[in-house]
Amino acid sequence: MKNKTNWAVTVPIALGSLLILFPLYLAIAVALKSPEELANSILGLPKEFHLENFMRAIEMTNFFQAFQNSAFVTVIAVVFTILTNSMVAYAIARNMDKTFFKSLYYYLISAMFIPFPLIMLPIVKETSALGMNNLFGLSVLYIVYGLSLNIFIYVGYIRSIPRELEEAAIVDGASAWGVFWKVIFPLLSPMNATVGILTCLWAWNDFMLPLIILNDPEMATLPLKQYIFQGQFSTDYNTAFASYLLALSPLVIVYLFAQKWVISGVTKGAIK
Amino acid sequence: MAQVRLNHIYKRYSNGFEAVKDFHLDIEDKEFLVLVGPSGCGKSTTLRMIAGLEEISEGELYIGDRLVNDVAPKDRDIAMVFQSYALYPHMTVYQNMAFGLKLRKFKKDEIEKRVREAAKILDIEHLLDRKPKQLSGGQRQRVALGRAIVREPQVFLMDEPLSNLDAKLRVQMRTEISKLHQRLETTVIYVTHDQTEAMTMGDRIVVMKDGVIQQVDTPTDIYNHPANMFVAGFIGSPAMNFVEGSLIEEGGEVYFVSTNVKVKIPAGRAHVLREKNYIGKEVVFGIRPEAIHDELAFIEASPESSFEAKVEVAENMGSEMYLYLSGFGDKWLTARVSARTLYTPGSQAKLALDMNKAHIFDKETELTVF
Repeated sequence: MKNKTNWAVTVPIALGSLLILFPLYLAIAVALKSPEELANSILGLPKEFHLENFMRAIEMTNFFQAFQNSAFVTVIAVVFTILTNSMVAYAIARNMDKTFFKSLYYYLISAMFIPFPLIMLPIVKETSALGMNNLFGLSVLYIVYGLSLNIFIYVGYIRSIPRELEEAAIVDGASAWGVFWKVIFPLLSPMNATVGILTCLWAWNDFMLPLIILNDPEMATLPLKQYIFQGQFSTDYNTAFASYLLALSPLVIVYLFAQKWVISGVTKGAIK
Repeated sequence: MAQVRLNHIYKRYSNGFEAVKDFHLDIEDKEFLVLVGPSGCGKSTTLRMIAGLEEISEGELYIGDRLVNDVAPKDRDIAMVFQSYALYPHMTVYQNMAFGLKLRKFKKDEIEKRVREAAKILDIEHLLDRKPKQLSGGQRQRVALGRAIVREPQVFLMDEPLSNLDAKLRVQMRTEISKLHQRLETTVIYVTHDQTEAMTMGDRIVVMKDGVIQQVDTPTDIYNHPANMFVAGFIGSPAMNFVEGSLIEEGGEVYFVSTNVKVKIPAGRAHVLREKNYIGKEVVFGIRPEAIHDELAFIEASPESSFEAKVEVAENMGSEMYLYLSGFGDKWLTARVSARTLYTPGSQAKLALDMNKAHIFDKETELTVF
């Protein structure tokens, strides 16, 4: 039996993937070309692989130092965002009948509507006053600043988890702490993956917060380092794209890994 | 020893609503007690107060000799089976059953032993490595029971455990839970809205309505001697027939009269009505569907309670037939007769009431006179 191709679906999907794959192709192609080759043809395939672009990018951005900084900030932000934000959301979701928690919920949610430029200066002032204008302070900012969206995501999901599960655990002998870590937290895995991916992408790619918080060039994260290509080397696209690809690769790996969790989480919910 | 004593217990919510009012009951050791009533009658709230999942607003709760009002659920030595089973979806059947024991720091081999034993009793040994979502409804139900059994608690609490199962499985699990109770010899408090479950499983039944106990008795006594119209109507399927009317005395005999109805009350019972001053008063007459007979011999023997009625609907159940009749009182009357005679809708049926099984209720208080 042959499956008929559903053109109405296939065509838009094909166009959509092209839209995403084309810039990626362009980035890879440019990163592998020499400047002369690029000048001759922007879209064409590279004739030979100029891997020295990557070597140069690594040297110019002090890549390993910057990579380390970015990784530190991202790992801390992701781990603690998942651990703390889910706990806060659990407390809120299970106490929505109480005025305090309900107001807290709306207070945190409302932060989503505050534009970043508005709080930019106060953040700079406060973090430096608290001596938090470093990588650790930056991670804390991601954890706190992400709270509003994450609470929104978590609370909605936690409220769909039947209370009877918690009651069963309580009768079985679990404390509130035990109920959360042994029953609720494992059930949150699809949301943990979603929040984790969003936070990871944000913390890894973010340019603004590191720019205003970090003074010490030693602490610069990857996006900050790559900024140099915009000025000094405005014509050196090959090195710039090589550097972008280097910064991109760990995220693609993380995403491919975590995506499995998201998909399994979504289907798990669908079967139930 | 696992007596459960509920001493004038109340549940009040902050908005002033009283879900349970003055619940006073001693539950014996090893007893199978069923709380039954329509939804919102407070039966689940009562159970949840015993479990410790709801606070008790007033009154005392004793499990064994211990006052447990302020004791945490985990220290009450109870196990609960929930309506939705509440199995932990991320754990295997084994882990689900072992969870409570693990939290109580039981040794690994003891946990293993208890889980295997419970699994054997419930015939789920082959499912221990599966996740709940890979199980059927009946199997999940068994796992939920297993999770309670391994704890070897003093009291089992069951909150409508069968209501998510299909009809056939429900009947099967009903007998299995009864068997399990005999085997474990533990106190069971079982909540249901299904009167059949209550009748078939309970040593004693507590009928509740609007947070108040209506009657506590054995299934037989509840069925034959309901305390009021609510209990009479709630227990039994099809439900008891109620006919509004009045009592009159003619020539030294007492009759119940209503639209198209005049039936004689047997002398022994008429005496009670006279004593309690009901002659000439409005009352409600109650008769169970099986106390309405269509056998010729019975009709001939009881001319003073026989009547003719039109069959509006006839439901053939195979072994018996439910007849919905008009022409006796204002409302339809349900009769449960043997399926020997096949009645068709629209036909006339000749029937007679077994007046020794009839009930009279006070119209105002709805309490049973007899």
